[in-house]
Amino acid sequence: MQITRRRLLAAAGAAPLAAAPARPKIAALATIYHRYAHAQHIVDRFLDGYGWNNTHYRPGVDLVSLYVDQVGENDLSRERAARHPGMKIYPTIAEALTLGTGKLAVDGVLLIGEHGRYPRNEKGQRQYPRYEFFQQIVKVFRESGRVVPVWNDKHLSWNWEWAREMYDTARSMGFPFMGGSSLPVTWRTPQVEMPPGVRVREAMCVCYGGVDSYDFHGLETIQCMVERRRGGETGVKWLQAWRGEKFWEAYRAGAWPRDLMEAALSRSHTLVPAREGFNHIFPTEADMRRLVKNPVAYRYEHNDGLLCTMLLLPGLLRDFNFAARIDGRAEPFSTQMYLPMPDGRTTLANFFSPLVYHAEQMFLTGKPSYPVERTLLTTGLTAAGVESLFRNQEHLDTPHLAGIRYRPTRESTFWRS
Amino acid sequence: MPKRIAVITTVYRYLSHAQHMADRFLVGYPHKGRWHKPEVQIVSLWVDQKPEGDLSRARAEEFGFQVYPTIAEALRCGGSKLAVDGVLLIGEHGKYPRNEKGQVLYPRHEFFRQIVEVFEQDGRAVPVYNDKHLSWSFEKALWMVEASRRLRFPLLAGSSLPVTWRLPDLELPLGCQIEEALMVGVGGSDAMDYHALEAMQCMVERRRGGETGVAAVQLLDGDAVWKTGEEGRWSKRLLTAALSRSDTPMGFSHQDSRPQDLVASGELRRLVKRPAAYFIEYKDGLRATLLMLSGAVRDFNFAARVKGMGVVSNQFLLTPEPNVTYSACLMAQVEEMFVTGRAPYPAERTLLVSGVLESCLTSRLEDHRRIETPQLDVRYQAPRVSRHARE
Repeated sequence: MQITRRRLLAAAGAAPLAAAPARPKIAALATIYHRYAHAQHIVDRFLDGYGWNNTHYRPGVDLVSLYVDQVGENDLSRERAARHPGMKIYPTIAEALTLGTGKLAVDGVLLIGEHGRYPRNEKGQRQYPRYEFFQQIVKVFRESGRVVPVWNDKHLSWNWEWAREMYDTARSMGFPFMGGSSLPVTWRTPQVEMPPGVRVREAMCVCYGGVDSYDFHGLETIQCMVERRRGGETGVKWLQAWRGEKFWEAYRAGAWPRDLMEAALSRSHTLVPAREGFNHIFPTEADMRRLVKNPVAYRYEHNDGLLCTMLLLPGLLRDFNFAARIDGRAEPFSTQMYLPMPDGRTTLANFFSPLVYHAEQMFLTGKPSYPVERTLLTTGLTAAGVESLFRNQEHLDTPHLAGIRYRPTRESTFWRS
Repeated sequence: MPKRIAVITTVYRYLSHAQHMADRFLVGYPHKGRWHKPEVQIVSLWVDQKPEGDLSRARAEEFGFQVYPTIAEALRCGGSKLAVDGVLLIGEHGKYPRNEKGQVLYPRHEFFRQIVEVFEQDGRAVPVYNDKHLSWSFEKALWMVEASRRLRFPLLAGSSLPVTWRLPDLELPLGCQIEEALMVGVGGSDAMDYHALEAMQCMVERRRGGETGVAAVQLLDGDAVWKTGEEGRWSKRLLTAALSRSDTPMGFSHQDSRPQDLVASGELRRLVKRPAAYFIEYKDGLRATLLMLSGAVRDFNFAARVKGMGVVSNQFLLTPEPNVTYSACLMAQVEEMFVTGRAPYPAERTLLVSGVLESCLTSRLEDHRRIETPQLDVRYQAPRVSRHARE
């Protein structure tokens, strides 16, 4: 049966999106708000402004309401509300969206479900309530007969079915929906972009961190580059994950290309020296085995044959490095997605600045700066990686990811200005 | 055959300049997305000081080169004639006295003189790289540059700032019209102010007409810095632009990671206990200011007003220890000179910055008076491409 968008909207009981007002009102929904929590980085930039385009930039939207799920001793939301009286804290998501009026009263929603104490399931996934928050947002939309753009931090949900439902709901109700992490939009060293329409044979990200966390960032690093290949994104057929001893067996068996790994490691600014007295030395396999305590690899194939590998090598480095084999170039094409990280290196996590800027642009224009299908795919890849590891590092077919096809934006959206 | 290189240095300890620079020719370094195996080979080393933690002997044993007791012997590899194809002169770190201007008296000029003597005696000269400024004294620095001209050997000098990554990747167009420039630096004198001045110089040297030299300088510190800002002697707009590139504002940002507009909020004055302003009046009329703002931020940021472009700015990315990958960017330039026999950018940049710094410190010593600098008649053309890390 053919379902038109209009009929879906009618079925959902929502009116099509109206033009945004001059200064849109924004609600932020956060799991927790403390120093270095994502909500702090994101909401603070709307409240206090941030360095952007040669000045201290003040966003063209008003963040008027905030809901915080968990308020601990280190909470900053109360201090922020006191300092910014234009922003009120509400006890429920519905009230934050309706500003207590009973009807949707904001022009955009930030959904920041990262950090906070939430249980882990048997697969090790932290059950951040992004889907639950989203459902409450949609409930207000339905009851109000109006929809507004929603911006979702990081992957849509730890649960693939829920993520897919979020995506489908946004489409059927017709509201702009955008998500993902900072990696696709942050600085690059060097400042290079994947040539558009190029044929990509192999791509890799070498990064750090743990499963169901930084793996998502690594997958986003790869996806924002490979989506620019000839034919655009075609979906993913299968995924295989390895960890621990099986990781090293796969490494030795040549399961992923060594030259790309070397290229990616050569983009790092944070290689842990393998030998005392040397500040920067390329690690041997024995060095890596000694330094990396929990190596993880996700390897997967796209429908058009592109093979990708995401390596988590905690203990060896602390940055996100990309390398690819592309046609027309003998050497790997590589760069680092540079995150100025407040882990002692900086005081500000300024990689949130381009993320916040793009969210603001969606609130102002009603158009996502880049396709949410990217986030849907990387959400599915993250879940598939977790699943493969859970099923004893099994090769998994991913028919549910095989249909995710999309085209990238023509313009680059990473930070260059 | 790889080029044979002698290393002449003050001290070879973990994270000293000699270690993280010379080691790159021993164990390779990242370059253009590969772990590059250098086309040069270190064959000899001379080190002035061997304090606890000295690595020179261990490196010599592991990598099969000799540590010689004199500079001349290192250059001749124990023989009677110059036996190397290039010299890496790294006179940074080690214990040396300071003079009344606060300059550490690193013996770069003295080492360089000995190198030149060997070149003269043996009737052959090879490329020399000099780390950081040429000398604490402009007169000595000028002698070094003139010696390289007289004996016709390539000379490359300076620090990593001009060649490191820039956020964003800002390259001022050659021949642009710069209306005003401002640099924010941090750290002590005369190490970190040198880096900041050199970073600014590698940007402004691209202006129309090329570099023409400096007519006068002045160094102010304390409240006078803020007062000159109020008077418009430096641009608050450019300071805001430069600080907008910082990843390390202190105060509230350090406390709870909130972004801040340090200029508009007035927090800057609270955070910086000992500000200093280095005013540079170029011969062609360009005014440039270095503000040393320790306490406000911890990174190096530049801003300029350029005709037709408006305000532009960038951070010079100093990547973290211990990798300090920016020194790999610099050693790639040095290796290129050793291999091709051509310096990728002019040592006159370093010469001018050496002189500007010395005169600024003289101004500080002499009651912050404005000092005319006829000796800084250093003219040169910027390289067509600036050679910073961008591929």
